[in-house]
Amino acid sequence: MKLVGIVGSNAAFSYNRLLLNFIAKNFKKLIDVEVLDIKDVPMFNQSDDQTNSEVIQNLNKKITEADGVIIATPEYNHSIPSALQSVLEWLSFKIHPLDGKPVMIVGASYDVQGSSRSQLHLRQILDAPGVNAVVMPGNEFLLGEVYEAFDENEDLKDAQTVQFLETCIKKFIRFINVVNVLQSPEGMKDLSDTEDLYATGAIDTTVEGIDMSADDWLEQAAEATQAVEGNTYVKLNRGLLTVNQLNYFLNSMPAELTYADSNNQFLYYNHHMEKEDMLAGRRPEQVGSPLAECHPERVFSGVSWVIQQLRSGKQDVVRTQVPTHGPDKFVVHSYQAVRDDNGNYLGINEYVQDIQPVIDWYLEQTGQQLTGGGVDAVSGATSKVDTVSGATAKA
Amino acid sequence: MKNFISILGTNSDHSTNRLLLQFIQKHFKDQANIEIFEIKDLPAFNKPEDRKAPHGVQELADKIREADGVIISSPEYNHSVPAALKSTLEWLSYTNQALIDKPVMLTGASYGKLGSSRAQSHLRQMLDAPELKARIMPSSEFLIGYSLQAFDDNGNLTDQRKIEALKRIFNDFVHFVDITNQLVNAKESQQKQAPSYSWEAK
Ligand SMILES: Cc1cc2nc3c(=O)[nH]c(=O)nc-3n(C[C@H](O)[C@H](O)[C@H](O)COP(=O)(O)O)c2cc1C
Ligand SMILES: Cc1cc2nc3c(=O)[nH]c(=O)nc-3n(C[C@H](O)[C@H](O)[C@H](O)COP(=O)(O)O)c2cc1C
Repeated sequence: MKLVGIVGSNAAFSYNRLLLNFIAKNFKKLIDVEVLDIKDVPMFNQSDDQTNSEVIQNLNKKITEADGVIIATPEYNHSIPSALQSVLEWLSFKIHPLDGKPVMIVGASYDVQGSSRSQLHLRQILDAPGVNAVVMPGNEFLLGEVYEAFDENEDLKDAQTVQFLETCIKKFIRFINVVNVLQSPEGMKDLSDTEDLYATGAIDTTVEGIDMSADDWLEQAAEATQAVEGNTYVKLNRGLLTVNQLNYFLNSMPAELTYADSNNQFLYYNHHMEKEDMLAGRRPEQVGSPLAECHPERVFSGVSWVIQQLRSGKQDVVRTQVPTHGPDKFVVHSYQAVRDDNGNYLGINEYVQDIQPVIDWYLEQTGQQLTGGGVDAVSGATSKVDTVSGATAKA
Repeated sequence: MKNFISILGTNSDHSTNRLLLQFIQKHFKDQANIEIFEIKDLPAFNKPEDRKAPHGVQELADKIREADGVIISSPEYNHSVPAALKSTLEWLSYTNQALIDKPVMLTGASYGKLGSSRAQSHLRQMLDAPELKARIMPSSEFLIGYSLQAFDDNGNLTDQRKIEALKRIFNDFVHFVDITNQLVNAKESQQKQAPSYSWEAK
């Protein structure tokens, strides 16, 4: 994980610089920190725009590229130093590299209070709309009476302090991951940790005590729940069908249907074809398995991202096109969120369809033709799709 | 007749806070002589080894010492006090500590609706720090929101209610200056000059 550490002091000798250097050195197994100085940044002036100067552009570039930023601030007159304030003004005037960036605040000062007041000011400043950084809450790391804190090797003397600092750094790493999930655009990081693809938890509909990976999970689970089948009637909203009717009805849908619950367990597909004949192959023994067992590990991140989109409510459906079926088909995988009447996420309805026949029919009926750049099953292969699983793959 | 020094809290060429101070200067000219001090040519603060104030800062300090009271008008940058004003206060705190025990009144103007309220609260906290220790007039907030629209072509505030509010606060300040200076003088004659505070003298 690549981080930038900003020294909030322009002093020739700075304890906050020592602190960041110590963090970079001591936790290099956890994080890769580049310490940046601000002493060459000119005083901000609204009437003399120097955004394009080399120092400011360098800060801009380094911050933009980093996964997160650690700011070490001294306390000057109960606030942050003007030197740091000025940097933040440049970085919120014409450019906004801190927008959406995970930031951790640390601080060293002479007072026993050790920059507590300047840290509070800094939080408020970073929260201003022009800056708009995402500051890690809590985990206030204050180094008071700083003139006594370091030994002659420039290491922090107190083991407990180092321990606490490590806890804060580890939390920050997790915080960065969480922020990335919240903001995940196309360029995805590894998000596989964000979903429990092994379905280790349980929800109130999980059939417990049965091996999810067993080939006959369905038979065992049906017995355990005394599930009805055959010509038994089931009352639905709204109608009455036998289980057989329900099966034939679902099999007649013009799509391959799959249901995975909110615990990430694969519970159902409308099985009426062999794997080889399906657009997205499934085998009867797979039913009941955790999603992790239905996908190769390299697509876990993409699968997790899709589920997160639906679970969080950010999207109700994520679609992707799989271009490997030849020019006569246009195969679309739609991952549709299943929600209850209160909007709670229950799972995914994945339906896989070849929509080419529908398009052809539409063209025929309306006498229209497609013209360039439109729907072309071969050249439309722009989506980031993994052809084995149909899930969105890592970019 | 009082003598006040006012500090314009920005280095910007075009400033609505400058307009505000000019208006105050003009409007209260029968009650006080008010000089407007520009901070835009002061160097950026960087701890000097000799703790000496550069020329411009010393000039400001002398003017503060001679004045009966100080008016600071600050814009709001990122919910706080602009770096240029912070830097000025750092110079004063680190070198001559001229603001200690000085009566101070705060005003502020900003483009947004809230008119620099957050900057003012930061500024109060800063002026309370031991190396500055100004005597800030309590419970008196004078803010101008949407400051670009607040003045007419002659530099007068257009909102009559704002002018009334400003009058009340200014009158309060004139009294506050008298009371505070009496108090400070009494204290000084009782004890010898209190040793000034320094963070770094440990
Ligand atoms: C202008 C100025 C104001 C200061 N105000 C405070 C303060 O309010 N609280 C505090 O704990 N230390 C204050 N200090 C002391 C700083 O904590 C000390 O200089 C510290 O070493 C700054 O961090 P640095 O070594 O990273 O530059 C102040 C120092 C200066 C120069
Ligand atoms: C870097 C920067 C940050 C700003 N942040 C704020 C802010 O947080 N709140 C606000 O009301 N205005 C903000 N503004 C706009 C100022 O209110 C506006 O520039 C104001 O006029 C400054 O006062 P002046 O007219 O005396 O220069 C910001 C302006 C700049 C350049």
